[in-house]
Amino acid sequence: MEISKTSTGLKDIVCPDTESTEVDIHAEGVEVVKSLCYFCHANCGVLAYVKDGDVIKIEGDPNYSNQGGLCCRGTSALLHVNHPARVNHALKRVGEKGEGKWEQIPYDQAIQEVADKLNQIKAESGAEAVASAGGTTRTDDFARRRFLNQFGTPNGFHNALLCWIPTFMAETCVAGWSPFETDLGAAKCLIMWGFNPGASTLPGNRGYLDLQKAGLKVIVVDPRYSESASKADLWLPLRPGTDAALALAMLHTIIYEFMYDFEFVDQWCDGFDELRDHVAEYTPEWASEITWLEPELIRTAARMYATNKPGCIQWGCTWDQIGRASTTGSHALALIRAVCGNLDVPGGDGMPGPAINYLTDEELELNELLPEEMKAKQIGSNKFKLTSWPGYQLISDNAKRTWGKTLPSEWFCEAHGPSVFKAIITGDPYQVRALICNATNPINSYGDAKMTIEALKKVEFLVVVDYWMTPTALFADYIFPAAGALERPIIVTHYGATDSVMGGRRAIQPKYDRHDDFTFWRKLGLACGQDPANWQWETIEDAYYEIIKPLGLPVTCWDDFVEYFRMYYPPLHQNKFKHGGFWTPSRKVECNSTILRELGYVGMPTYVGCCENEIDTPEIAEEYPIVLTTGGGFMPYHHSEHFNMPGIRFLYPDPYFSINPVLAEKLGIAYGDWCWLETRRGRIKMRANVEAEVHPNVVFAPRGWWFPERDGSADLDNPFGCLESNVNVLTSVDDWDCDPMGGSWANRGLMCKVYKCTELDHDFTAKDAVWSIPGSSNIPGVTVMPSDQHLDREKIPFEKPQPDFEVPEGYYWVWQDNNLYQKGTHFRLDASGWLINPRTKGYHDAYTGWRYDGNGNCLVDDATGKKYTMEREEIVEICGVRCYPGAEAAPYEFPANLTWDVELGYARLGDKPYIYDPNSGWMFDPATCAYHDANYGYMYDGSQGCLVDLESGKRYSMSYEPMD
Amino acid sequence: MTRYVMVIDQRRCIGCHSCTVACRTWNKLPLDIVYNPVLSEGAQGEWPNVHKYWTPMLCQHCANPECVPCCPTGASQQDADGTVWVDPKKCMSCKVCVNACPYGMRDASHIESRLHRFVRKCTFCRDAREMDPSAQPYCVKTCHQKARIFGDLDDPNSEVSKIIGSVRTERLFEELGTEPQIYYIPDLGGKA
Amino acid sequence: MKHHYWEPPIALYLFLGGLAGGIMFLSAIFDSFVIPGHTDIFALPVLIAFIAICIGLVFLLVDLGQPGVFWRVFRTAKSIIKWGAVFLVIDTIVSMLFIVAFLGDSLTFMAPLSNLIKPIASPMLLVGGFFGLCIMMYTGIMLSTLKAHVFWATPALPVLFTVSAISTGCAAIVLSIGGWPAVVSLESLEAAAEVNHILHTVDIVLVVAEIIILLTMVLSFLGAGNITAKKAAKRWVCGSYAPLFWGGMVFAGLLIPLALYVAGSGVASAVVAPVLVLCGGCLLRFLVVNTDDRAPLPGEERYMGRIATHKNAFVKRWNYDGENEF
Repeated sequence: MEISKTSTGLKDIVCPDTESTEVDIHAEGVEVVKSLCYFCHANCGVLAYVKDGDVIKIEGDPNYSNQGGLCCRGTSALLHVNHPARVNHALKRVGEKGEGKWEQIPYDQAIQEVADKLNQIKAESGAEAVASAGGTTRTDDFARRRFLNQFGTPNGFHNALLCWIPTFMAETCVAGWSPFETDLGAAKCLIMWGFNPGASTLPGNRGYLDLQKAGLKVIVVDPRYSESASKADLWLPLRPGTDAALALAMLHTIIYEFMYDFEFVDQWCDGFDELRDHVAEYTPEWASEITWLEPELIRTAARMYATNKPGCIQWGCTWDQIGRASTTGSHALALIRAVCGNLDVPGGDGMPGPAINYLTDEELELNELLPEEMKAKQIGSNKFKLTSWPGYQLISDNAKRTWGKTLPSEWFCEAHGPSVFKAIITGDPYQVRALICNATNPINSYGDAKMTIEALKKVEFLVVVDYWMTPTALFADYIFPAAGALERPIIVTHYGATDSVMGGRRAIQPKYDRHDDFTFWRKLGLACGQDPANWQWETIEDAYYEIIKPLGLPVTCWDDFVEYFRMYYPPLHQNKFKHGGFWTPSRKVECNSTILRELGYVGMPTYVGCCENEIDTPEIAEEYPIVLTTGGGFMPYHHSEHFNMPGIRFLYPDPYFSINPVLAEKLGIAYGDWCWLETRRGRIKMRANVEAEVHPNVVFAPRGWWFPERDGSADLDNPFGCLESNVNVLTSVDDWDCDPMGGSWANRGLMCKVYKCTELDHDFTAKDAVWSIPGSSNIPGVTVMPSDQHLDREKIPFEKPQPDFEVPEGYYWVWQDNNLYQKGTHFRLDASGWLINPRTKGYHDAYTGWRYDGNGNCLVDDATGKKYTMEREEIVEICGVRCYPGAEAAPYEFPANLTWDVELGYARLGDKPYIYDPNSGWMFDPATCAYHDANYGYMYDGSQGCLVDLESGKRYSMSYEPMD
Repeated sequence: MTRYVMVIDQRRCIGCHSCTVACRTWNKLPLDIVYNPVLSEGAQGEWPNVHKYWTPMLCQHCANPECVPCCPTGASQQDADGTVWVDPKKCMSCKVCVNACPYGMRDASHIESRLHRFVRKCTFCRDAREMDPSAQPYCVKTCHQKARIFGDLDDPNSEVSKIIGSVRTERLFEELGTEPQIYYIPDLGGKA
Repeated sequence: MKHHYWEPPIALYLFLGGLAGGIMFLSAIFDSFVIPGHTDIFALPVLIAFIAICIGLVFLLVDLGQPGVFWRVFRTAKSIIKWGAVFLVIDTIVSMLFIVAFLGDSLTFMAPLSNLIKPIASPMLLVGGFFGLCIMMYTGIMLSTLKAHVFWATPALPVLFTVSAISTGCAAIVLSIGGWPAVVSLESLEAAAEVNHILHTVDIVLVVAEIIILLTMVLSFLGAGNITAKKAAKRWVCGSYAPLFWGGMVFAGLLIPLALYVAGSGVASAVVAPVLVLCGGCLLRFLVVNTDDRAPLPGEERYMGRIATHKNAFVKRWNYDGENEF
């Protein structure tokens, strides 16, 4: 930020020079580049004005979904690019870990050194000893998985388990895909559940406001009177962490007040009766005690949603952050949508399925290169099966059978992050020796920060790719500078979970030695000795172009796609299920999910309380009487980002937790007081925002806080203050607190106590930073090994039905629909003996896999483009005319002046090379495919509508009259 | 004639502070200067019957400004289109205008070099409009929620004229006689 | 309220301006109308006035963000501040010339110049006295026109400031009358004693008046319907300013000097009381300038309480013009 110039001289003193700060975007040489914002998932459109290789100004793209709007974060992009504390060069640690002494080395040298070390670890301890942590989706994730798969390690992970992935998997178990898109324009009711677009997706929020004005009913479920709640028609301020109880009670109400869609349930739901009996006990009265909501309010909400059809339920992060009750809640919600008939219908929750028309992330991941035995070694996959290889395999195979494509393994099939950190500390189940952190600062963004920081200190080899010197980067052996917004092209494919794509161009080449993540993984992969053929794209633009190439748009590179198309939305297909059913193994909405049962879980949502609550754990509630909720997004920050952007930080310099005035008065806390928030696992300090936005027994603490302005190395117990106000000190990642299906750890609905900081007890000390496994504020160290930590729920043994016939070689049997599928392709073997491709619904030959082409009544090998007869004999075609080489007689009639050429297999005119086409009666020149008449072999000239004798050059009319 | 005014729809504002940051970024303001804070008293009322709204602020560009006649150097001035602004070349930063403003919408920075501080305030992005007459102020342009609407009140077809003519709007501290030209559509709460 | 826009230099400037105005005003009255013919006894008081104005102006300039632009004040506007500046400059010149007229008594090399000016010293003082009155009134009127601040925007304030200014001027004259640089004759000393005697009485009246005005103003605000005014007055009467207001201003700055003046003898009345009056006057300016309460906008206090200030550590941590760190 430019502060007015320091000027000298008398003239400047009496007439100060203060020129306009305005940047002229219409000046000569300024180019407009269509870019995208990169500071949160909303990815708003940005127009970047570039002059001489530097961005001089940006603004919101008025022709994008943000309609010219940009939030604090997006607007700060230029300040981000040029921030003086950005990491600009590859840094190699020269001092002790955490000492903050670095040497700048060339990027490629750093890559080679890291690759050598990784290869050494792989040779000594196996590839699984190398793990990789990620943050949000804002990296080139397919490239990371491409690297990990080729390297041979299954231990890639993100914060995915806190963000949609368990929900996606549960929803997919119910209906075959996640209702990712809402068709709000036609909807009458919207539930925003644990979702606050007012602080997270601002363009979306504007849409909701507009639609609300037009009559959309908006129900907000949030324990806090959030920005979105303040605009809602109905607000359900439930006790934090009790979403599962509320969802089950709403499901109960909808079913027992007969508000579900009878016809839909009858036709498309499997196991509804079981479900009805299962939720009988989950009455609003039962839920009232748990959720602190009046039963009538729960009924009102259920009625509002069920009777204002069609309706949508917008997913919110909360669903995946409640710990052991997470997936129960999202499972129940998936069933609410289903029984109300709101799936895949106009105005309901869309079921886009994977992108059929362009390459999905999964097709770029090279999952086939990861050996089966490595899949089994994925950390956490023996416990949290839904979101790791066991569950992913079932869901992915099913998706290939039903949609024809599948979801990426990145995000949807990952190691359990906290378990990897525990493995680093304990060596259980095996020692993880190297960790590559790409775009993440796990200390602030993963649960149990004290344990996480210990893991980062302890891991033998830590590589960080980041914009900043984060607390995590401080302990790294190598830090690689990452290219940020404006320095990289951006593709938005929503994890590969939907069928639209949006793109943005790189406004400028990365400054200094920064590189985009694709380049990092590619270089690292090549340096590790991976096959260059698997890293065929030199730049990320090339790879993105590869992704959109199948769209068949008239563009030859990624930048042109952005320039001329910018986005691709396939035509909206709804009611797809009416032709072929849902995309579950049974082709119906599975009220009692077979996939969940196969994995050893209950197939129907079965209530479990969040990990600490007054009813199940009264002894905890006695000492920690206040309910704490954490993790919600808040403006102007995003996760643990932007604390070092002064223009943003200025608005919100200190962490504030929200506390109701009634409780504050009881505890003697005034607005702005520094207070300790303490759970069984530790304590942090924040300032009190005394405001009636939370229940009198609830406090809300924002996430992400660290203090980048401090000297990180000065206090290695709490570098950059990363623990002292970090809510993740309070959260729990103990296995029994994690969701047994999805592995989500517990951020919400925890029990805490709150007290004012005093003179004597004001500073966060080393004592407050002591780590432990399991999380405990008074028993340090490892007291229960990870393998000995049980889950909240025992696995339920499931005996998979076996076929009562022999499955032919090359096929497998699916018990749910009693069908055979071809291994590899996952094509269904139809009763007709043909294979059916789920993506195209086309028929394929069971022996060769060739596709049946009804137009030519032939088979087509799509790999080579060659055609075959139904007898699998190759069809020779010249200029689209089928030839029959070797046939003694023509299989069709032809004019008498022609002769049949047995060898070539077509009718000829004298010795002319032309081929007779029995369909049109014309002949073709095989060299040019030009039309020639069958009587004299004259060429047809379309421009004049006449015939030309090529030998003499004479022209004839169509009735062979000579022309001048 | 042209009379620039702004309508702020509090029913749409969600307190995201985007306008504040856009303004400070593009007007290159020193850190401690905020032209357009987004104020809120927080959720008011007794749980759970609470309501919260935001008041996006900026200079009110009063028709009868307090801050212009008091200026001893003529730096604080008003254009014919109603824009009240301070010419940094003429301002000696005596801060009498800062004290005169009933809305607290002016100040001099404490960060800038000690001998080059001048009073700063919202100019309805005068510089941007000088460069491109159709330009909207940055706070308006950046607002995702379309809560800020800028336009010419003297043009009966402008959006602001239509809104002010048809929707009940309020102005801040009207009783002071400053004739503020920022019109608020209040968010009175009271949902179904 | 984010912070006080006007900081201590301005309070001091207002005090010193008022003080100088008071000295000039009273000196002129006494010289021209009460005891004419002893102009020389006012040499030192006017010197003090001159110094006060100069220091006050320095404080004013120090507070300016772009002091180099100050010259515009004389070119363009009609604002009250402009007139204040004009008055101050006039009185600076007048008081300086007046002093020069008597410098020759002590510094022989100045004698020719002094002798040149001396004949017009008395009329000059009258002019200075008139503008001194203007300065005193200006300090109060300037604040009282800023109607955003209820505590200032009252007619009582200019009256209070003027009375206080005369009172402090009175005290300053009492302390300094008849001293260097003028070589004062015996009659003049007698006249000085006479003036001193009258001034004692005058100051008693002024102090009593000041107490009345001050209490009327503050207490009427306390009972006012205006929330902001009430809040400010509460701070004075029983809040954070109460010790300074009751103990410093009312008791030490007004009641004790009053008692000393009335008891009326020796050092206590001649030195201690005037000094206390001066301190009280200074304190008054500080408290009033700091009571710049503005009716808050809904949520303003919360907002300003939460955002950073220029003192936060991160504000100066990153400098976009400097070297990159990594």
